[in-house]
Amino acid sequence: MTFPEIHTRLTTVFRDVFDNPKLEITETTSAQDIEEWDSLSHINLIVAAEKAFATSFTVKEVKALNTVGDLMRLIALRFK
Amino acid sequence: MLRGTHASLEYHQLLKQAKRLAVDGDPLKLAILADVSTQHMIPLLRVLFAREQLRVEIYEAGYDTVLLESLNASSDLYAFAPQVVVILQSTFKLRGSFPDARAEKATFAARKGAEIEAVWEAIQARLSVPVIQSTFVVPYERPFGHYGLKAAETFQSAVMELNRELVQRAKRFASVFLCDLDYLAAWRGRSSFLDEKLWILAKSLCALERLPDVAQSLVDITIAGLGRSAKCVVVDLDNTLWGGVVGDDGIEGLALGELDEGGVFRGFQLFLRELVQRGILLAVCSKNDEALARRVFREHPGMVLKEADVAAWAVNWDSKAANIVAIREKLHIGYDAMVFLDDHPFERNLVRQMLPQVIVPELPEDPALYVRTLSELNLFEAGSQSGLDTQRTQLYHDQDRREQEAKNFKDVQAYLQSLQTVATVDAFHAGNLGRVAQLIQRSNQFNLTTARYSEAQCDAMGRDLKNYYPLTVSVQDRFGDFGLVCVVILHRLERTLEIDTFLMSCRVLQRGVEQFVMNKIVDYARRGGYEQILGRYRPTAKNVRVKDFFRQFGFGQSAILGDGETHWVLDPAAYTPVPVWIDERAPAPAHDAISA
Repeated sequence: MTFPEIHTRLTTVFRDVFDNPKLEITETTSAQDIEEWDSLSHINLIVAAEKAFATSFTVKEVKALNTVGDLMRLIALRFK
Repeated sequence: MLRGTHASLEYHQLLKQAKRLAVDGDPLKLAILADVSTQHMIPLLRVLFAREQLRVEIYEAGYDTVLLESLNASSDLYAFAPQVVVILQSTFKLRGSFPDARAEKATFAARKGAEIEAVWEAIQARLSVPVIQSTFVVPYERPFGHYGLKAAETFQSAVMELNRELVQRAKRFASVFLCDLDYLAAWRGRSSFLDEKLWILAKSLCALERLPDVAQSLVDITIAGLGRSAKCVVVDLDNTLWGGVVGDDGIEGLALGELDEGGVFRGFQLFLRELVQRGILLAVCSKNDEALARRVFREHPGMVLKEADVAAWAVNWDSKAANIVAIREKLHIGYDAMVFLDDHPFERNLVRQMLPQVIVPELPEDPALYVRTLSELNLFEAGSQSGLDTQRTQLYHDQDRREQEAKNFKDVQAYLQSLQTVATVDAFHAGNLGRVAQLIQRSNQFNLTTARYSEAQCDAMGRDLKNYYPLTVSVQDRFGDFGLVCVVILHRLERTLEIDTFLMSCRVLQRGVEQFVMNKIVDYARRGGYEQILGRYRPTAKNVRVKDFFRQFGFGQSAILGDGETHWVLDPAAYTPVPVWIDERAPAPAHDAISA
């Protein structure tokens, strides 16, 4: 899966979880940029991303995620 | 209960719905104590309660503060004054406290069970409200494999033992309800319910996608406690209760019995019979010839259900909606207490359209899946169990015989006399509290104030005779026994006797029972030297028929409150007892009566 493909699909996940159809994300987007991105929605986000990409992340991987770019790279590794 | 299909419990969809909630009305105050994080649960509860037209105000205790909050009389829990307390506990958390020493392992379940019971006791000592306690999900790891069932020292066997402990202990508390997490987990598999990763990352009770199942169960248990539960199943016959169409295939041609497709319908009937035996009324609603339909019940050897299991028959060529209206009138229950089961989508949609309050589950094409689908929806959650439950169908059969007899009388008075009605007035005691609480939670139509007291609250009022005078009335006649059908709670104010609660089962209307009871109340007020009796009527969607109840006894209206509540007063000295044709019989001495 290419980076743009991952970006498109992940955008859908973010819009869904944050319930905002206009939300745009970039590789540098982090919890500081999205008001509703707290520890609660972080878990919702991870679970929704796992479902959307039919994969699962380890605790270590989840703990290491800081930006959308981190998440995209993690997903890319799965579909290498 | 789940009114739609299970698909309506999708986690992320529910979260979105939680953001767009608009429910009005007085909030139901619910407190959650847990040794897991409950943040993800809160929005789900809000949505699922809203589907039942209930707005909830939730107090979420801090993580792992079950003991702290419940044992401390000045905790925020008690300051919040909840109407329901939920206790959620996790197997992952429990695992952390499972001891190393072998001797301690053996006694772990009993000790933990006692600790949890102490929490219930602490809560009950301060709040007369239902407590919903989760069971523990049995872990899937088995250090001894299958042999582990015989080994006492594994965590798995300890959890199974603890669940048995909770069941035994909860039986002693009328207001403690178990939420069987292990059942919920096992439904789709414990391996999809337990989520180690989310436990570590977020202290989550389970996988997020299974959290709505838990939330829905908490809603089910809560609303059943409020008296909102299904009381009647209305079933179609052809291709629902048996395979084939009796009018075309004849009795011999029906698929019903041990073999092949017949086994599918037999299985469904076994399920329905268990519901009937637990007190759910069964009504038949079918486009058929009634005589032929009844012959199937009598003559087909594969029939599990018998004619006597059916409380109401509506077998004719009228529309099913019209027939459900007729069934409702016969059984005196609300539409929202009726579940309609029909294999035909047309009939289901018609009933949904015409009678939106009736519960109409979407049945699968394959009748072999009926029991599974209905079980998943949890339509028959109960708030209590009483001895009367099992005789409920018989009560309606007795009523049929009364109505037959009534046709022979021209004059009501002569008919009432011929019934030889006997009433027994009794206090609240351990032997009738379950039934009292059930009536208080369920009665809608003949209920003047609709105050929904829990069993624990009834118990408390039954003991507080300084402030209250609670009484129950049981009725029987020569056709049969109605059991305990009326509850009155009198509140002793200084010079006034207030009728705090006056409710009656609609089964005994129009035979003088309410007049008999009012005579008793006034008699009691006179003997107690009260200057006036205060009656209150609080309007609800269902109790309009008793709007002017007090007027017929000579009460004068003294106030109308903003919410429509009316107050009525009567001078006991000015009352003339209403003539009734009811004999009073003294109650049998109760062994553990609260009061004499």
